[in-house]
Amino acid sequence: MKSIRVALTTAVALQLLYTVGVCAQPDPRVAGLAREVAGKGWIIYGARGDNGTWDLFVSRPDGSRRRNITNTPEFEEAAPRLSPDSTKLLYRRMAKGAVIDHDKWGFQGRLVLADANGANPVVVGDEGEYPWASWSTEGGRVVCLTKKGIQVVDLDTRQVVGEFKRQGIYQQLFWSPDGQWFCGVANHQGQSWTVVRVSAETGALNAVRQYQNCTPDWHPDSGHIILSSRPSGQPGASGYGYTQLWLVSGDGTDQGLVYGEDGSHVYGGAFSPDGRYVLFTKGPRDGSGAEKDGAPMGVMRAADAPTITGASADLRKEHPDTKDSPVLMLEKGWEPYWTYADIGAAE
Amino acid sequence: MKPPAAFLLLVLAVSCAQQATTGEDAHVTTVGSIEITARLVDVPGEFVNRPMYDYAFVMKYQVLAVHRGEVPGDTIYIGHYNPLKARERAADARVPEVGGNLRKFRVGDVHRMALEIPIDEHYMGGIINRYFGQEDTGPIYWAVCTNRAELRD
Repeated sequence: MKSIRVALTTAVALQLLYTVGVCAQPDPRVAGLAREVAGKGWIIYGARGDNGTWDLFVSRPDGSRRRNITNTPEFEEAAPRLSPDSTKLLYRRMAKGAVIDHDKWGFQGRLVLADANGANPVVVGDEGEYPWASWSTEGGRVVCLTKKGIQVVDLDTRQVVGEFKRQGIYQQLFWSPDGQWFCGVANHQGQSWTVVRVSAETGALNAVRQYQNCTPDWHPDSGHIILSSRPSGQPGASGYGYTQLWLVSGDGTDQGLVYGEDGSHVYGGAFSPDGRYVLFTKGPRDGSGAEKDGAPMGVMRAADAPTITGASADLRKEHPDTKDSPVLMLEKGWEPYWTYADIGAAE
Repeated sequence: MKPPAAFLLLVLAVSCAQQATTGEDAHVTTVGSIEITARLVDVPGEFVNRPMYDYAFVMKYQVLAVHRGEVPGDTIYIGHYNPLKARERAADARVPEVGGNLRKFRVGDVHRMALEIPIDEHYMGGIINRYFGQEDTGPIYWAVCTNRAELRD
């Protein structure tokens, strides 16, 4: 009897060792994905530099050729975005030691404009001015989110040249590439954390996805929005659940999981300019790690959605159609952005 | 000549009692465009307890007295920022102006408040309004300062 127990125990142990060994093997598909994206432009993002403060970095989408392009130990800098013509960069600069708040960063610090490679930074406005500034579809303008409404500001004259009703939007406002729509996080029908779409022509508003959604961003086709969502009913984290990446049509009718992993919160979803790849951050704590050091960034093919990584038993029950495709994980960052402009070439 | 300590304590006690009775102080009488005394008649459900996320929570009040400005009707709906926090600790980078001496929201209590209206013109953040689709709230007020108060005979 004893020998049977020993044999069984040994068999189980060997199986475990095998499983761990298999799982520990690098997925060759990830290396393939890395090779595939290595030459496809650059990603730009905020991360902690060697000087201990947040700086702006560029790297190839496979993580190679990483370079600190601001290197300002006297400031905290984050949330870079390239202008539609890829010639200018905007970001926010905060006082050294300021803690970036994952939900208030658009109110924090001062707006900075620079060349696409981070050179020649110019501070625009005072602390907290130009809240949630993001690029207008027309060059030389930014769109800001204020209590008074959505304001389009000409960067040469600093004058408000266009206004739209805010309609409950309170953070993370972005104008669609075709100029037809805004998306943002809003109060809608008594609920907060609803991602909405607003027509820039008529002001008509529709909910894109309700209940615990944020960090929306446009697909290059202007017809879809990628966002972070923490659906209700998840048993994980004592019922708190985990934040997943979703792609939703602008009218809200078509909703699908892009990527998720139980035990991790996925934020900062962004597409490559051709819409073929998805960039995001994934961390164990809610809030994308902005308050500390960010979270590891990830890259996957858009065509591989939905993809789930890790054991993720709960998530797999909800999404049995997962393709379990490769996800390339990179260094820590926050609010990454992907461009095909050659902003990182000049080293 | 120093006043006796007992006298000072008496003055302090009377001052505090008076403040607790009316809720009137230099803050509530000077901020906001509306100032009222009102009874909290309903808190719709539990507050959301997620420290990472800020929000305003809409509550229902019965107006007892209007000290400044105009308030149409007896029932109004007021959004309070991060209601799980004592008012003196509720202010932050997004909402630096919120304050008061109220520590906890309890149905039946009376508050003296400085308000603004509508909430959207004074606050840009998440709002939980559980009256939506249930009651005609009219424009939601925004609580700038909330002091505890008591009714006087």
